[in-house]
Parts: sequence; structure tokens; C-alpha cells
Amino acid sequence: MPTLAHYLIVSGLLFALGMAGVLLRRNLLIIFMGLELMLNAANLSLVAFSRFNLGPDGMPNYNAQVFVFFIITVAAAEVAVGLAIIVALYRAKQTTHVEDLNTLKF
Amino acid sequence: MISPIVLEVCVVCLGIFLLMAESFSVKSNKVVLAHGAIFGLLSVFVMSFFIEANPAQMQSSGFYVVDGLSLFFKRFALLSTIITLILAVDYLPIVQRLVPSAKPGAGTGEFFVLPVFTCAGLMWMASAADFIVIFCALELVTISLYVQVAYMRRSLASLEAGTKFLILGALSTGFFVYGITWIFGMTGQTGLAEIQRNLTINTEANQMAILFGLGMVLVALGFKIAAAPFQFWVPDVYQGAPTPITAYLAVASKAAGFLILIRVLEPFFTVVAFQPKLILVLALLSGLTLIYGNLAAIPQTNFKRLLGYSSIAHAGYLLAGLAAIGDAFAGRAVVFYLCGYFLMTFLAFLVLIPVTKATGGDDIAHFNGLGRRSPTLALAMLIAAASLAGVPFTVGFFGKFFIFESIINQHFYGLALIGIVTVASGFYYYFKVIRAMYWMPPAEDAAPVTISRLSKSAMLICAILIVVLGCYPQLLMRILP
Repeated sequence: MPTLAHYLIVSGLLFALGMAGVLLRRNLLIIFMGLELMLNAANLSLVAFSRFNLGPDGMPNYNAQVFVFFIITVAAAEVAVGLAIIVALYRAKQTTHVEDLNTLKF
Repeated sequence: MISPIVLEVCVVCLGIFLLMAESFSVKSNKVVLAHGAIFGLLSVFVMSFFIEANPAQMQSSGFYVVDGLSLFFKRFALLSTIITLILAVDYLPIVQRLVPSAKPGAGTGEFFVLPVFTCAGLMWMASAADFIVIFCALELVTISLYVQVAYMRRSLASLEAGTKFLILGALSTGFFVYGITWIFGMTGQTGLAEIQRNLTINTEANQMAILFGLGMVLVALGFKIAAAPFQFWVPDVYQGAPTPITAYLAVASKAAGFLILIRVLEPFFTVVAFQPKLILVLALLSGLTLIYGNLAAIPQTNFKRLLGYSSIAHAGYLLAGLAAIGDAFAGRAVVFYLCGYFLMTFLAFLVLIPVTKATGGDDIAHFNGLGRRSPTLALAMLIAAASLAGVPFTVGFFGKFFIFESIINQHFYGLALIGIVTVASGFYYYFKVIRAMYWMPPAEDAAPVTISRLSKSAMLICAILIVVLGCYPQLLMRILP
């Protein structure tokens, strides 16, 4: 029987994986995937917290579960805008690597 | 009497209406859109004086608060959006050149409409009392700003700034959401008032986990307000973004970040176990931000980049005010500082745009000889730079003075010392601009500097307010929440 701790560990791993992707990978699209992974890690632990920590009336706090839907929607909007910016950048520079983003310098 | 939420609804409707007008009208002159937006936002600003104070159904919802602070920040957001639109009208020729379009003038309408949506997000943020609302409002602001920063699709700098802003903004969103998750997990609530209640009742809750969540949220907000060590996106994004959007980022987005910071920290300050830790973290962040922002600004040659570093430095002073929040006066000192910051930053950008249009660049060297070419613009810039540096008889001086007063009252002598030393270094880099204007000869081929009537009046109002409030700060102090 999985407990709250199991869910939290998986979510923590997902978050760490996502952040490692953002920090270590050099391709903008992979970085973006890492960012989405971080948001989904938060979704998983929100639902787990809401499901396992029942209120005094035996019902979970549904605010958190509704919050998850908001996060999913916002993430979709962010992807739409983000991919558009990355496509525009690719058209202008023919690259999606972070090392090539060097127009702005000290 | 009008219900408070009508203000936000009106702003969103205005935005949708302008988008529709943009798509279906045959006129190619997009400046009409900007004038419509300015007029609409001004009407909402006037409306904000006639709203119902604290209606009962809003109080009990737990999602939306109506108090003096929220109303004040709504007006702040409206006014800063109006000035951003005035700047955008001035900046239009440059945007037109750098946006790919089938016929001249196409594809620039959204440049005037997107700030309206950002404004709605900022206004919602001012009233948000629940992490769900805070998150949604914050994302409405951030996502619309991504588009605005990357708006000039033929300018590599703008695209690059947009990409950097996107990646780091999304990263901070990830931290924010994960932090909220842990705060929710430990307190069982998403509303700030309920979190405060649960924290005071249930004192044996896992403090490490709550602090972990709060730390994540602080990291995310540190990105938004540009506090060191989360400031590294600021110089690049400020330099690459279209100039009106840089001003918008510097003023409205930062003020909103501080408001959220005040609101989020409030429940945790009431817990005795957290208070000293939080104040220590804020003081450390503030010291780091002050030192980094002021020292890194010294060697800059690009004016927008310089203003980027200067905005980091100002975030440091504001954080110092927050660290001294135990002092009864500190809250008002922070709000006063934000008002002064609003006036002087917008004044600097109002001068920068005509100079960029005339000389084709935004380096400090492009200001050379402005004192002879356009004495009034140079005078306005002189007032802005003096106020940013904190010269007496400007509003910037009193902003810093009030903040230092509260931190000394709270016995943070180290922080006060850092503050005073960094103010001195600030004098040096703002003086570089003044020197370029009055002591350097103008470039031979410089075009004459022209200013539109709208931005001239905005400039006049900002400059007069800076000087008047610099002599009589109590005029503003009296109306602050």
C-alpha cells in the first residue's frame, strides 16, 4: 500500500530530475521539458497531500486539487508562448543551443 | 457604489475589446489603439475612487482582499501601464522596423494591447489572498511579459532576452509551485488567512518542511524582484527588451513582486519561531543585492543595462525596508520608496526613448552633448539621475532616508553601513550619464531630438512630482495606506 511518503519521494525525484535537466542540458527544448517536469512534480505532491491529509470531516481539501487544474492550464499557456519564442529564435539564429545565445554581453 | 472586482473585469474587457478592434478594423494606424487603451485605463483609474470599501461577500470568500494596500497597488499598476503605453507610442517606429510584417504597420497592434492584460494580472495580484489566485495572477503577468519582451522578432537581442526571461521565469514558477505544495502539505490550506490561523493553532507542525516550502517561494519571488543571487537574468533582459517593456518590468513587475512578498510573509511573521530566521534571510538578501547591484553597475556603458543594475540596487533598499518590518514605520517607508522609484525610473525611460530615436542607440555615449542639443530633456534626465542616486531635495533622497531610519531603529547597523556605502557608489555611476550630457561634445551626425506632446506632459508631471515630493514628502506620506 503506497503511503504519502512514497508519493512525496517520487515527486521530489521528479523535481530534482527536472531541475537537473534545466541546469545541465544545453538544448532549449530539453530545458523546457525539464521545466514542465518540475511543474508536474508539484502537481503530484499537491494531489498526494490533499488525498492523504483529510480534514476533520473526513474530506480532503479540494482547493489543492483544483489548484492542480490551474497549474496544468497555466503550464499549457506557458508552453504555447515558450515554443513560439523558441521557434522565432530558431528562425533568426538557426540554433536552439544556449551557448549560442551570446548577443547580449557585459 | 461599484463592487471592487469590477475594476479588473473592466480592464480585461478593455483588452479583449481592443484586440477585436485590432483584428476587425481596416485602419492601419495602430496608435489609435494605444490612445483607446490609455483612455480606458484612465477611466478605470477614476472608477477606483468610487468603489465600495470592503464588501461583506468579498471578505468571506478568502480569495480576494480589499484593503488600502491593494487599492493603492491597483492604482499603481494602472498608472504604470498608462505611462508604459505612452512610452510604447513613442517607441513605435523602432518596433515597426523590427517586426516582420506583410504591410507596413501590421503586427504592432498587440504591442499596445498586451500591457492591458498584464495590468489586469497586476491588479488581481494586488488583491490576491490565496495561493491559487496569487499563482494565476502572477502567471498572467509573467506570460504576457514573455511575449512583450520577445516582441521585436527581427532583433536578435530582443529574442535572446525573451528566451532568457522565459527559461528563468518558468524556472521560478517551478520553485514557486513546489514551495506552495509544501506549505499546503504542512498547513492543509491554500488561503493566506487560513494558513496564518493553522500556524498559530498548530505550533508543533513540521517546521523544517514549512521553512523548506517558504524558502522555495522566497527563491521564486527573489527572481521576480531581482534580488541577488537570483538577479542574473536582469541585465540581459533589460538590455534586450523593447525600452517601454524594460520600464514596465522595472517598475510594475518589481512592485508587484514586493507586494506578493509582503502578503506571503505576513502569516509567517506572526509565528515567533520563524520571525528571526525570516528577518535574517531578508537582511542577508538585501545586503548581497545592494553590494552586487551597485558594484556591478559601475563599469556599465549601456544605459538600459545600467538601469538594470540600478533596479537590482533599488530592490536591495526595498528588501532592507522589509527586513526592518518590525518597525511600525517600515511598511510605509517601503511603499513611499516604490512611489519614488516609479517616478524617477519612468522619467529616465521617458528621456531615453527620444534619445534612442534620434541617435539610434541606448549607450551612455549616445547621451553625449544632450545638454546643448535639447536642454529640457537633459534637465529632466538630470532630475531623474539625481533622484535615483538620492540627492537631497528629490524624492529618491527621502525614500532612502526613511528606509535607513527604520533599519537603524531596528538596530541593523551593518546593513545601514552597507546601504550608505553603496549609495556613495551609486553617485558615481549616475554621474556618468550627467557627465556625458553636459561635458561631452555631441556627435556630428546626430539627428535633432523630438518629443511627442503626450510624453512631454508625462515627463513634466514626473519631474515636478519628484522635486515637490523631495521638498514636501509628507504630501505623499499622508495618503499612503
